[in-house]
Amino acid sequence: MAPFAAFLIALSSVRTRRSAANLAMFGAVVSLLASLLVGWGLAKRTAPFLATYSYINLPVAFTGPSNFQGFGVDIVLRVDHVGIVALIVVELCVIGVLGWHQVMGRSEPGAARFNALMSVLLFGATGVLVSWDLAELLSFWGLTGAATYLLLAHRWGMDEAALRARVALALPFVTDLSLLCGVAWLYARYGVNNLTTLLPILHTNPGWTVRSLVVASILLFVGVAGRLALWPLHSWMTRTVVTAPPAASAVAQAVWSVLAIVVLYRLMPIVVASNTQTVKGLLYACGAAAIVAPLLALVGNEPRRIIALIGSGATAIGAAVVVHGFQVQGATFAIAGIACVFAVALARTGGLLAMSAIAAAMRTDDLAEMGDAWTRMRVSALAVLAASVVLGVSAVGALAFGVSSRSNLGIAMGEAVVLIAVGGARVFLGVSVGPLRRRRAFEPDRVREAPPASLAWPYWLAGGGALLVIASLIHGWLDFLDGKKHPTPTAGAYALWVAVALIGFALPVLAYVRDQDGALHVSAWVGVWLRRLTYATSSNFERFVVAPVSEIAVRLGERWIPVGDAGVGGALDTTGRLVASGARLPVLPVVILAAVVLTVVVGLVAPGVFR
Amino acid sequence: MIWQAIFAASPTPTPTPTVPGAGIFSSSLLLSITVWVPIVVAIAIAIVPNPRGRYDTLMKQIAFFTNLGLMFVLGVAYNQFQSFLPTLQYEERVPWLPAIGAVYHLGVDGPGMTMLILSGAIGIVSVLASLGVRERVRSYFCLLLLAQASVNGAIVARDMFVLILFWGAAAVPLALLVLGWGGHRRHQAAWRLLGYWGLGTGALILGTLALYSAAGQGSFDMDVLLKATISPRVQLAVGILMIVAAATRLPLFPLHGWARDVYSEAPVGVTVIVAGSASRLGAYLLLRTLIAAEPAAAHLLAPVLAALAALTVGYGALVAMRHHDIRQASAYLALIPGGVTVLALAALQPLSIAGAVLSLFAGGLAAALIVSVCATLSERAQSRSLHVLAGLAPRMPILTWLMVIAGLAVLGVPLLATFTSNLLTFFGSFKTQPIGAFAVAAGLGLGAIALASLWRRVLFSAPNPDAPGVSDASLGETWYLGMLAGGLLWVGLFPGGPKLPGTDSPLFDQGLVNVLSAGISDIASPYVLPTPGPGQ
Repeated sequence: MAPFAAFLIALSSVRTRRSAANLAMFGAVVSLLASLLVGWGLAKRTAPFLATYSYINLPVAFTGPSNFQGFGVDIVLRVDHVGIVALIVVELCVIGVLGWHQVMGRSEPGAARFNALMSVLLFGATGVLVSWDLAELLSFWGLTGAATYLLLAHRWGMDEAALRARVALALPFVTDLSLLCGVAWLYARYGVNNLTTLLPILHTNPGWTVRSLVVASILLFVGVAGRLALWPLHSWMTRTVVTAPPAASAVAQAVWSVLAIVVLYRLMPIVVASNTQTVKGLLYACGAAAIVAPLLALVGNEPRRIIALIGSGATAIGAAVVVHGFQVQGATFAIAGIACVFAVALARTGGLLAMSAIAAAMRTDDLAEMGDAWTRMRVSALAVLAASVVLGVSAVGALAFGVSSRSNLGIAMGEAVVLIAVGGARVFLGVSVGPLRRRRAFEPDRVREAPPASLAWPYWLAGGGALLVIASLIHGWLDFLDGKKHPTPTAGAYALWVAVALIGFALPVLAYVRDQDGALHVSAWVGVWLRRLTYATSSNFERFVVAPVSEIAVRLGERWIPVGDAGVGGALDTTGRLVASGARLPVLPVVILAAVVLTVVVGLVAPGVFR
Repeated sequence: MIWQAIFAASPTPTPTPTVPGAGIFSSSLLLSITVWVPIVVAIAIAIVPNPRGRYDTLMKQIAFFTNLGLMFVLGVAYNQFQSFLPTLQYEERVPWLPAIGAVYHLGVDGPGMTMLILSGAIGIVSVLASLGVRERVRSYFCLLLLAQASVNGAIVARDMFVLILFWGAAAVPLALLVLGWGGHRRHQAAWRLLGYWGLGTGALILGTLALYSAAGQGSFDMDVLLKATISPRVQLAVGILMIVAAATRLPLFPLHGWARDVYSEAPVGVTVIVAGSASRLGAYLLLRTLIAAEPAAAHLLAPVLAALAALTVGYGALVAMRHHDIRQASAYLALIPGGVTVLALAALQPLSIAGAVLSLFAGGLAAALIVSVCATLSERAQSRSLHVLAGLAPRMPILTWLMVIAGLAVLGVPLLATFTSNLLTFFGSFKTQPIGAFAVAAGLGLGAIALASLWRRVLFSAPNPDAPGVSDASLGETWYLGMLAGGLLWVGLFPGGPKLPGTDSPLFDQGLVNVLSAGISDIASPYVLPTPGPGQ
């Protein structure tokens, strides 16, 4: 409630930048302290804290299946180990971002609005993590989504920002609708929203079918994948990473990855209850996302977009481990995927903030125009390095616990780890190494390190990510998260995945040592062609699908229907005039004529008259 | 004799107070007050001399306080409403035309009470939105009050003859308001309104007469007419006619032709009352006549209704995406809540029917908000063209936020009442109309794209240096738009009413979802699906 209270106070009375920032930070810190307190209380127990409040209780029928005679939405606050750790990670991300934004976001307009929305985002995220009722989950999910859009569209009055913010509303809303449809589909079959009640009856409720569970699983997964920003549902994140305030972009990516992976973990029993083909299909989707996202990061030279994509790839690895963990019967390593994403969230936040400071100082978002940050902005560059390393090795624990390197999944995940490491190293090398060239209206000697007050936050976040990566290697951490026992992987398994990541780090080093400019030029060239291809695809889709359909709709509403109305109106008007003019005609001749005409017509039409 | 009958009308049983403030007064003519007081006040305004507009302000105040008083009465009625009673409440029955079986019969159940609350709120908002009218003020407010009265009468009528009278009567004052105070295309708008609503009224009359003839009981009373056993063929014919009547009023594609012109040309106060309450009568009619009374026809026509709902939502979003006039774009967006309501009705499930009733309330507020905020914005920005309007957010922050809330309300985002109604709708619809539900969800997705485009162009992009000067909403405009947004937020946050922490005791509002549930079980009882067997 602390973030919500901060939001209400901000709405009612806060006007200045400093007071808005302080209030948002206060709400986040209070929330963190409360979470730590709850976490301390949970540390010694395995059963979650549970509190239930009735929100809607609507009797709708007195007959029929008992599950459908009433509709209830409860505010179920269920705090388990996974939830509390996720909440702490989210709060740390928000606090780090708020602290950084207090210094680096001074030139951003609408401070009160920004900080109030951050409080709403934190409130909604808290609600998602503690929700155990699916309708309640949808409420907080949608609220967080609305706050996310308003944060990503924060820069009012800028064409580019406004243009790119459209996708931040449309795409996630469509996936949120998919989540809503999935939950509604489940309710239509089972009549319950509470996961505690729903999961045991998945195969026992009268009328359940495999098909209904498959449909629900796909809908739920699409809903979660959209907010996880898994390829190809990632564009809401990558298209706004440059135009949105850096703090907003960073917190949106981090917070949603944590929320969505926890929700995926909680909904996986429903997916598993459908059939093995569905689980396999979702695993393939996660695997494809894990490879394609960091592959796209090799194309183009926007560093923040690269960080977003490799973060997405690492999150996809975590999601794949979660799905795989439920796919394998008797396995308990699904939680390792969540531990991986927790680490990724903190690291990507720190990396994005540090990278944003560098991009602001160098006044460019092109790696080809950046350079020499190791000399001029060493602290920020180190933060980028730390974040890149953490992102590169974040999946080591999850993969060591759950994926055999000899399986197809292991090979795919290995490729993903290599690509993520390549992307991370590429960003660091592109920013830190090589000359910073003079450009029009840009003097390299004027590039200075970011204000000292903002420097620590990316470090703390990357450091927190590193700690969580180390923790993810330890089975005790996983035991704490899900309350189950986990066998420790062999040292060889750890070493193998670390080696894979090191290969990924080494490859860009080799490429940049040989020819840094050439490597960047190739990336830029491929990026241009990819953009052209994307533009051509979208413009053809717009031209051949969207435009004709909407043109038909517009013509229907703007021309055909009004013309039809006018025609009907004209006909009625003519009829009326005829009737009015008929009143002036002599009656007797008209009646006789009408009688003759009617007689002839009836005679021709009626059967048997002329036979 | 009529007056004796009126005064001798039996009051409803003394209600047991359920919330603080309940029971402070009761009246056997409560519903008649909501219908006839605006008419009496309208007549009084019409006959009181107003030389050279000297008493214009007084007339506005009279109209406002009339609506405020009505809202107070409705508030008391709402608090006294017994949410667990399936029968009608606040009933009034006076014999009127015994030769044809017409009875002056009024009454409300849960859905009726919900609609009355909506109408009351919309009434106040429409008067506040009309305070800027300067020409022929007396005529304007007289017609506005008559329109409100006819809407209230249609809601509370329990006799089909009375319903038809009020239903048809609503068109005339609204058409005159559009004709007299509308924009430069007001003639087309007014004639379209009359044409479509006239068609709907004709369909309603035909359907009622068919029912009357088939029932053979010589009564227009709904308790008799709608409960009579009628052959499925007659039910189907009547059902089709009722759908035509509803589709012209709500409106639904393809009988929506009046909506664009009326919403874009009428003055703001008139658009509020048309979008907020008068148009909701279409879905309300479907609920009363088709869903509640003709289960055989409802089952047969449910896929048609679902298809119409999906077409309306998708069509409205598509056209709004491509439009270049902000008021007309908002008119198409205002079709979306109506489509969701009809999907809920088409599902024929108890939960979806409850969702439909809540959607009537929430959708009415959302539609009224989107059309009125776009109208106000276009007035303040002195242009309606999306080629001119650009980057208004920094200079019009209040209208920006209200427009964002309006758009989120149309989409059904949490914290707003439309989210709760959409939740009930979709949760109930996937059981019996999954394709329709998916199609409506896809339409909502298109709506999100349309809104994203609209906001980008109008609010968040770079300002247009060639645009006329703009000014933010005035205090009065903020008030009436804020009331609409506040209503959506209130019901969205507290659908079950605010409760004392840790208890189930309501504070001062027993909750709209609890009120609307009264009578839902009766309406939905023919549609309750049996418990499926194993393997089904």
